[in-house]
Amino acid sequence: MMRKLANIVLLLVAVSLCYGLQLSKPHHGDLIGPIPARGKLGDTVVGRGFEIRAEKVEFARKLKADRFGDSKVLTTGGIWAVVTVEFAARAQSTTVAVASWRGPTGLTYDQTERLSFTDGLLPVAIDPGLPKKARLIFELRPDEASDAVVLVSEKLMSALDSQAEIWLGPVAIGPDGLPPGTVDTLDMTQPI
Amino acid sequence: MLENAGSRLKAWLAAGIGTVAAIAVAGVMGAFGARQEPLPVLVPAGRIETAQWLLRPLKAYSAEGENLYGVPLKPGAKALVLELEMTNRTAKSTKDYFDVLQANLAMVNPTKPFIVLTRDSTLSPELHPGMPERMAYIWQLPDGTAPPASLELTVIRKTYKQRDNLYGLPGWFNPAPVGTLTLPVGSGPGSADIQP
Repeated sequence: MMRKLANIVLLLVAVSLCYGLQLSKPHHGDLIGPIPARGKLGDTVVGRGFEIRAEKVEFARKLKADRFGDSKVLTTGGIWAVVTVEFAARAQSTTVAVASWRGPTGLTYDQTERLSFTDGLLPVAIDPGLPKKARLIFELRPDEASDAVVLVSEKLMSALDSQAEIWLGPVAIGPDGLPPGTVDTLDMTQPI
Repeated sequence: MLENAGSRLKAWLAAGIGTVAAIAVAGVMGAFGARQEPLPVLVPAGRIETAQWLLRPLKAYSAEGENLYGVPLKPGAKALVLELEMTNRTAKSTKDYFDVLQANLAMVNPTKPFIVLTRDSTLSPELHPGMPERMAYIWQLPDGTAPPASLELTVIRKTYKQRDNLYGLPGWFNPAPVGTLTLPVGSGPGSADIQP
């Protein structure tokens, strides 16, 4: 009888231990997630394969871009955010392909796919010793503009690889609901 | 002999009680609720919520392939177009809208629709959280078929899983129908929207 009871108690202890481990330990998805390399606007953020420095952020209501040789004006339901960055490869040539904008509430805006043929957009190929400028272009709601973090990584599934997290700082919102520096049209055909 | 019969009776009783209990538990857990129930009919002039999308049907029409949002249709082909406003309700940009609407038309079933952002004719772009966009679903009709008088659609939703069973990563799985939707098919892109 004593022995049976001891077995049951042991079983219960084992079950609660396993459950506690499951609750408290990070899950597989978190363990193999991207490794953050943090910095803020103007800092050089160093990752495993690339370095990135965000120079400036601009907001615009419309974008002017070339598509298939003719000039187009791209409108949006929110605003355009254009982040000008400088990339450098570290030990070997690589390609940086993925960027997204994480707003203050956690909504994540991937870089736009509507300007796919414009110069200076991701993916960019970078080589060691040859820094290269690029533009990250996002389409977002104006209320997601302040205190945003730009996430940049080489590949979409950047498991166990570094991801640059650049904090862009607070942006005031004007009475019209847009950041005060918002211009009407930004010309993406101009060299960076 | 009698003793033997008694134990048999006991065994039968035990088995019977066990079976009844198992069926009762299955019933409580909803095993018998999976009967085919008719899908609810959705109102076209309203907002339709799936877990990921908020849909607002605007108009359906048939059109010639020329200049239809820059979609690569066969020359001279007719197409069935559905325009609607889509809002991404999730927290991430996504283009997981290919299975949201299923046209219940025998003739267009084999061809997948082209999905276009009407703002600047971008073919299947990602839609961003909380930003409504007008989209067009364009089904190419086979040669020689007349466009139908009404377009019947099945709206499909998916379910969020924090961790999938294969990779342990979050995602949207298990497509299941929400309801059916029937829209009148106008002629030409000039037809009026059914709601403002």
